[in-house]
Amino acid sequence: MKVTIQKWIGVASWKWQVNDDNCGICRMPFDSCCPECKLPGDDCTIVWGECSHCFHVHCILKWLQSQNYQDQTCPMCRQSWKFKTH
Amino acid sequence: MSTPARRRLMRDFKKLQEDPPAGVSGAPTEDNILIWNAVIFGPHDTPFEDGTFKLTIRFTEDYPNKPPAVRFVSKMFHPNVYADGGICLDILQNRWSPTYDVSAILTSIQSLLDEPNPNSPANSLAAQLYQQNKREYEKKVSAIVEESWMNE
Ligand SMILES: [Zn+2]
Ligand SMILES: [Zn+2]
Ligand SMILES: [Zn+2]
Repeated sequence: MKVTIQKWIGVASWKWQVNDDNCGICRMPFDSCCPECKLPGDDCTIVWGECSHCFHVHCILKWLQSQNYQDQTCPMCRQSWKFKTH
Repeated sequence: MSTPARRRLMRDFKKLQEDPPAGVSGAPTEDNILIWNAVIFGPHDTPFEDGTFKLTIRFTEDYPNKPPAVRFVSKMFHPNVYADGGICLDILQNRWSPTYDVSAILTSIQSLLDEPNPNSPANSLAAQLYQQNKREYEKKVSAIVEESWMNE
């Protein structure tokens, strides 16, 4: 018997690949947005540092802005913070 | 009014209630969530044992990007505590991280009690006795432990 696939419906779900369920800065779950934003959406994304720690983009930016430019560090491991580029 | 700082403090309070760390407690004051009262119980097997030391924690709208101001209300005798109750602790100053919460702050202060840092003395007499005359140091500490029970 030969089966021919005539139609393929792909169903996939996605989830952020993160080391914790909550943002370490605001403590809100990554599934929802940071406390500054109303709705989870494209502009409240998660960002990773080269050290592999991640935060809401708004939360880490607020932290980095409150630091001197020379010592902008990851709040988790204190390595100097560099956005991970893909 | 709900601001990011206030929302974060509500989460800190919830965590403190659901998962209370040993030997510390804290809660926001009734009319202002930015001002908390806390108590640290002196750790066992230290000169501070049995003391119930009260503190106030004052947050700003910049929390958690800026640390709160923490001070002892109860009288304290410790190398890193100023006469006005202010605390010299790196994580409350230049080693602050926005991932700390109230529970981390209080447990750090609790462990500072028995692990003073004599290199940054805030009370030079306490620092001197701690290094040179432990007996006299412990005597002074037990006096403030007893005092901590009185101003209930
Ligand atoms: Zn966040
Ligand atoms: Zn956001
Ligand atoms: Zn990191």
